[in-house]
Amino acid sequence: MRKADRIFGIIGLGLSFWCYLESTKFHYMTRFTPGPGFLPFWVGVALAILSCYLIYDTFRRTPSKQDNKKILPEKHALVRVGGILLLLFCVRFSMPILGFPLTLAVFTTAVLFVLERYSLVKSLGYGIAYATATWFIFEYILAMGFPKGLLGI
Amino acid sequence: MDVLSNLMSGFVTCLTPYNLWMSVLGAFLGTMVGILPGLGPSATMAIILPITFGMNPTPAMIMLTSLYYGAMYGGSTTSILVNVPGEASSVVTAMEGYQLARRGKAGAALGLAAIGSFVAGIIGTFALAFTASTLAEFSLKFGPSELFCLVLLGMFTIIYVGGKGITKSLMSMVIGLGLGCVGTDIVEGQNRFTYGIAELLDGVDFVILVMGTFGIAEVLESAEEFMKIEPMKVKFRDLFPKLAEVWSVRWAILRGTLVGFGICCIPGSGPTISSFLSYGVEKTVSKHPEKFGTGVMEGVAGPESANNAAVCGAMVPMFSLGIPGSGATAVLLGGLILYGLKPGPLLFVENADFVWAVIASMFIGNIVLIVMNLPLVPLFASLLRIPYSLIYPAILIVCIVGAYAVASGLFEVGLMLAFAICGYFMKKADIPAAPMLMALIMGPMLERNLYQALNLAHGNVLVFVQRPISATLLSILVLTSIFVAVKRARGGRTVQETEE
Repeated sequence: MRKADRIFGIIGLGLSFWCYLESTKFHYMTRFTPGPGFLPFWVGVALAILSCYLIYDTFRRTPSKQDNKKILPEKHALVRVGGILLLLFCVRFSMPILGFPLTLAVFTTAVLFVLERYSLVKSLGYGIAYATATWFIFEYILAMGFPKGLLGI
Repeated sequence: MDVLSNLMSGFVTCLTPYNLWMSVLGAFLGTMVGILPGLGPSATMAIILPITFGMNPTPAMIMLTSLYYGAMYGGSTTSILVNVPGEASSVVTAMEGYQLARRGKAGAALGLAAIGSFVAGIIGTFALAFTASTLAEFSLKFGPSELFCLVLLGMFTIIYVGGKGITKSLMSMVIGLGLGCVGTDIVEGQNRFTYGIAELLDGVDFVILVMGTFGIAEVLESAEEFMKIEPMKVKFRDLFPKLAEVWSVRWAILRGTLVGFGICCIPGSGPTISSFLSYGVEKTVSKHPEKFGTGVMEGVAGPESANNAAVCGAMVPMFSLGIPGSGATAVLLGGLILYGLKPGPLLFVENADFVWAVIASMFIGNIVLIVMNLPLVPLFASLLRIPYSLIYPAILIVCIVGAYAVASGLFEVGLMLAFAICGYFMKKADIPAAPMLMALIMGPMLERNLYQALNLAHGNVLVFVQRPISATLLSILVLTSIFVAVKRARGGRTVQETEE
């Protein structure tokens, strides 16, 4: 956890610097009231102080059990998490091409077939079932208007 | 008497077939969420919220609130039958409930949990009706300076009471305030942190943040390792505890209700803390504290009553002051804003029909839940046999649909995924996401009230200490901060001394 705290502290410092830079683009004060730069400035300052304290605390404190805990999971779990995220990003970018129902069917099939080791037939079956159910509820009943792909669906 | 007549008019509104159906649907979904580990009520409410945009606020909020307390009912089922708490607030129930189940008293434990939850829900809702309306009446005297101090106090109380490391919670809150700065500012109409992206002009939608950091991040964490769950089988006729068993835990139920409601009126405490406190109280007052951990009825009834009463308690600051008491009430509060209502003291004046209908629906919801939970427990428990590998793709699909529905755009889907990655690593680094969410909702309120207060006072910053209510609120904040700092310093020294 010490390592995680240090990394988070450094990220916090980066974010605080970003907030400070953004705040300099705007007025800090108007005649009576704080300007648009006021809150970003103080967010930056507070984040910088807290980040420095978090990093300092990792050097000061006696290591506890929590500190020796591994932050990231085992490799196979990490691959699964990474795989899910990758497939989710694919959904984001393929929806305008494949359209809403087809993207969801491909996504579910890929998750079950590649990551969960279901058979292709079962994965396809679940994929089609999930996509049809989602399309029926959200598009047909609730008329939410999802993006259509090149095939017009 | 006013409260009772308002409640009656609330019943008239919420007893329409559509609103009743929403209550049943919410209770059913909530029970499922409570039973299935891996998705909490906050995330589920956030996922469902965009789907309710087209609905009237009253049925939408009735569904969301019944989902919230339904999750508290459902959480006990997995705790008792498989020793896996569906919700954090049911961890204590697992300690005693599972031991009771191993001794063949699973039915009695489930029955007592349901009865305790029901009694606590009903008493808690009465207390909510009286407390929230009184507090709202009082807070009508609040101007911008009082509201600024109140929001500030609420935000810090959430950090101090929240239970996780204060530094990390504060950092999470400050990041949330930073996220709240995104978009067009209220003073000069300038665009902050938008970088020409039109979708960011209205700011970061809290629904996107919740679905990313709570919904998808929770799924990712659960997807690391799947548990193989084999729930104990319970027969229908065993589900009803004996009258003597119910009578023996009557005081535990009442104590749990009192602890749960009282504690959760303080923003930040939440059902988890109150269930642990209730367990502690039961152990303290028990004549046989040594038996705790081996399966004691009071250890199930007390905490289960506490976490249900806590739901009502957490709604007191939400309805009366517009301050969320927990992550789940933050989602509800965000929902109120999305439906075009103004959370805060004026809600009881401008939208009295809505508030009283929601409060009255909580009575109905609790009745629905006890009817649903007692006989249907075997059915709900069988849900646990569905492999998680089949459940999580469905959750992810609903998250994608929800994010898309917020603004009918794919930018929000991408933003949600970015928050999901942040949320996953925040979980790994033990950084709570709830303060970030609350700060995102309360940050703009804080800025607006600061702006209005100083504008009215012609820039005089002493306005915050010159007005009695704001001065009192600030004093409470300062005293609490000093108390927490001293306690933390002493705690650190004690740990060092012990280690030496």
